[in-house]
Amino acid sequence: MMLRLLFIAALCLPTLVQAGSGPWERIDPARELLGESKPEVGVLALDLPAVTQDGSSVTLKVSLDRRRHSDTVIEALYLFTTGNPAPELAEFQFGPAAGPLDLETRIRLDRSQQVFALARTADDRWLAGVRDVRVTVSGCLVEGTGSLDDDFMLARVRGPSRFRADRPSEIRAMIRHPMETGFREDPQGQAIPRRIVKQLDVSLEGEQVLHARFHPAIAAHPYLRFHVAAGLEGDLELEWRESGGEKAESQISIP
Amino acid sequence: MSAQAMVMWGGLALGVVFGVLAQATAFCLTGGLREWWSKGQMRRIGGFALALAVAILATQILAVAGLVEPARSLYLQASFSWLLVPLGGVLFGYGMMLARGCGARALVLLGEGNLRSLVVLLCLGIAAHAAMGGVLAPVRVAVAEATTISFGTPPGLAEWLSSVGLAETLARLIPALLLGGLLILIALRIADFHRARAELIAVAAIGLVIAGGWFLTGHLAADDFDPAPLQSLSFVAPVGDAIQYLMLATGMRVDFGVAVVAGVLAGAFLAALLRGRLELRGFEKPGQLVRAMLGGVLMGVGGVLALGCSIGQGLSGLSTLALSSFLAAAGILLGARLTVHGPIKLAD
Repeated sequence: MMLRLLFIAALCLPTLVQAGSGPWERIDPARELLGESKPEVGVLALDLPAVTQDGSSVTLKVSLDRRRHSDTVIEALYLFTTGNPAPELAEFQFGPAAGPLDLETRIRLDRSQQVFALARTADDRWLAGVRDVRVTVSGCLVEGTGSLDDDFMLARVRGPSRFRADRPSEIRAMIRHPMETGFREDPQGQAIPRRIVKQLDVSLEGEQVLHARFHPAIAAHPYLRFHVAAGLEGDLELEWRESGGEKAESQISIP
Repeated sequence: MSAQAMVMWGGLALGVVFGVLAQATAFCLTGGLREWWSKGQMRRIGGFALALAVAILATQILAVAGLVEPARSLYLQASFSWLLVPLGGVLFGYGMMLARGCGARALVLLGEGNLRSLVVLLCLGIAAHAAMGGVLAPVRVAVAEATTISFGTPPGLAEWLSSVGLAETLARLIPALLLGGLLILIALRIADFHRARAELIAVAAIGLVIAGGWFLTGHLAADDFDPAPLQSLSFVAPVGDAIQYLMLATGMRVDFGVAVVAGVLAGAFLAALLRGRLELRGFEKPGQLVRAMLGGVLMGVGGVLALGCSIGQGLSGLSTLALSSFLAAAGILLGARLTVHGPIKLAD
């Protein structure tokens, strides 16, 4: 019996030793962010499919357990991957009108790799979460290629289906844009220049909800689901900007 | 209910209905072809033809009503491999005759307690994933890239007719009525259905289940912010996905195909239970095991190359009037025919 317990303990050992360490120690931009601080691991929950057949659009959710961390305020969130041409996915700064961290977007993954998130709290702690994703060759489906079509920069936003003053309001926003990475070639072998949606600003009655910066690894037709703090009402304004200089605005009122 | 939950529960419900109907009518392309070619009995092949006719008519009516957009489906994508689609059909057709039933039939038989089908399904699912993203995938992708054919308009009968100037309603209804009507006439003539009106209704309802799949994924659960693929029933990749789900459930979500697979199994079990047809069956001779395994592997690989199986291309695909589906269906029939005729025919 004792022997078996020892054996189990030995199996668990590697994870114990590694507590606090993770891919953020190997990725330069993440190391620069963290500086000397060690992030707390396991507080930030990342939700990704374990296996995906379509690396061109993988749904990524980042959240905090609301019951255990109801008083943790996240000021900034940084999303990275370990195996794409560039490690950055997106960065978010949250303002006073932002709800608790519960965010969803779609990303591009080049191959099987790790995705991780770093979050800075209002009291200057760092939180981290990490997940492995396996990407296989695309199945039967041929990937639809995004182009600068008629709906280019068409921005849409939808508010909560049922407004409740005691709950954060769920907002879903999407904009049509091919998110051309700059890594692709056209049929003639010419490099297609990079053209991406660079940022999104969201405010409620003039008060900041979030400021997002996107990198080329955000999937075509960028999508974001986020929350506005409970009890807040009024006009929500979204402003998207892309690298070609175009701008798009949309707004809804809550409730 | 979220769009994803709706796809899941709707897929499960459609699967249960399909499972019950397919169990009650012994719905099977393989069995139909075998009885036709060896005994001259055409009742079951007539049933398949009738289901196909209803699927085509109902799907095209949904498209005319603007409720679904078939061009968004896998079958009408702008480019496919002119080699792999028919070749995959041939492999699939040969495999389904070897295994004495396609993937959908194997699920129904498993629901009845036939454990031979479990071997077929495991081989089919694993082979399908090997061809989609596993060891065979690099070869598949390389051959597919070398043999791709691209079209300006989605390659389908209705799309072509409307691109030469026919109004969309007519472009859909004319081929649907001609093809569907012809199939219904043939089915009613050859299948001798007057003695079994219930069977007639049941196989027609299978055609409606196909259209139900399009309606569910294309209209009911359509979500602007989460564009899920437009799909209907198919039993190659989803069988592999279901096996994968059993192993990786904590990191996966149930999609339409997996829900349908689970539903068919449950529906067939229920129907067999109520009709007193539950019986455990196994292999009697090692040769049967080899046939089941080889048939399963051929169906898995062939079904992925052909973008679908006897249901996926033979009913769902054909209901969109897509060129790739006609090619795949012709391949499936040819492959099946090769098992009774020619140099690689099977000893019975």
